[in-house]
Amino acid sequence: MARTPFKVEVLTPEGEVFNDEVEMVSTRTSVGSIGILANHQPLLAMLNPTELRLYKSESEVVRYAQGEGFLQMTGDRALVLVDEVFSVDKLDAADLRDRLKRAEDELASAEEDSEERRQAERDKRRLEAFLKLTESA
Amino acid sequence: MALKDVKSRIASVKNIQKITRAMEMVAAARLRRAEQRIESLRPYAGAVRRMTRQAAEAAGNVPNFPILNEHESEDKIGILLVTGDRGLAGAFNSQIVRAGLRAGIEYEGAGKTTVWYASGRRGVSSLAFRGREAKGAYTGFTDRPSYANAREIAADLVAAYVDGEVDRVEIVYNRYVSALTQEVTRETLLPLQHATIMGDDGADDSLGGRAAEEDAASDHADGKHALVEYEPDPEVILERLIPAYVEISIFRALLESTASEHGARMTAMRNASENAGDIIKDLTLEFNRERQAAITQEIMEVVAGAESLV
Repeated sequence: MARTPFKVEVLTPEGEVFNDEVEMVSTRTSVGSIGILANHQPLLAMLNPTELRLYKSESEVVRYAQGEGFLQMTGDRALVLVDEVFSVDKLDAADLRDRLKRAEDELASAEEDSEERRQAERDKRRLEAFLKLTESA
Repeated sequence: MALKDVKSRIASVKNIQKITRAMEMVAAARLRRAEQRIESLRPYAGAVRRMTRQAAEAAGNVPNFPILNEHESEDKIGILLVTGDRGLAGAFNSQIVRAGLRAGIEYEGAGKTTVWYASGRRGVSSLAFRGREAKGAYTGFTDRPSYANAREIAADLVAAYVDGEVDRVEIVYNRYVSALTQEVTRETLLPLQHATIMGDDGADDSLGGRAAEEDAASDHADGKHALVEYEPDPEVILERLIPAYVEISIFRALLESTASEHGARMTAMRNASENAGDIIKDLTLEFNRERQAAITQEIMEVVAGAESLV
């Protein structure tokens, strides 16, 4: 069954990466996975690193690896704001593992309850999410 | 100077001119790209600001996050120098180092300690040369900084501020005005000012001048008072939105610095090419004079030889 299309814009600090009509947006908020259809209730959500899927139709899906971000649903359009996106096949598993190792080292040396520790945790979460994407691809 | 020497000097100056011309053209092409990237940041910065307003309105107020709080005493000043990885760009790097060190010496004179951070190899090595160790050194990307670079710097600075290693952070960078003009700019990054976040009058420039208009337009379109669902609570969303301002400010400074660097290099290389042209002209004149002198000399020798036979 065809769903009602709605406008989605994906914005990063480096510019717009996607601006088109889709049937569904699938991503992950800090609470859990979420799928957005047309006419969704107004929403402001915080996004965690994951795979961002834009369903142009049942069969045509645009996929990105997304960093942290926000999703704003207003009226008939959605705005996805993320700090970075990559196409999934451009992710380099070996490089990610290296960086993950470094983030873990930093985490181990950071003091309990310090901001440094929170930043390292944030890095680790991002890298783990990306790494998982390379494994499933 | 012997004729041969002049000839070889002309050849070598011409070679140098070829190189400086090529560098000028490369810098011009990169400058255009860098300008576009500054433009590309605007919509994102505007959207972050709109979301912050919306969440702040829902939360009632902006809660007091550590990066918004001024420290009681301001004893340790962090200074971030934004320079380039490479030289050959006129005063681009040296004016940043000079302005940063001058500010640092002023602070030290007032009995405060300074903590140094530098992006760009030039800044890092200049600091080392002056006997100041950079606590954070970020290199290898100044040709084309990515948001991840800005995020890394912001994470370090925010951690240092929140964990009390510094009481204030300033950034010194070349603000991009035009290809010919770059302005050394010193701004306070941390503590983050309330005005920067809510976009009060005058603070708009820091995140793109168009933000205010966009805000006004979207406030209508969004139907401000519609029931909005927040996932998670607006307070928690703000907790991540607010640090984004630090990242965006640093990213913008990195982008402006990159555009400035290419502009400065373009100008410096154009001057060098023009200089080389002048030198070539002078040397060519000298070459012709020498050549004519040599010919005259030869004629005189032939005439003198013929005369002696008569």
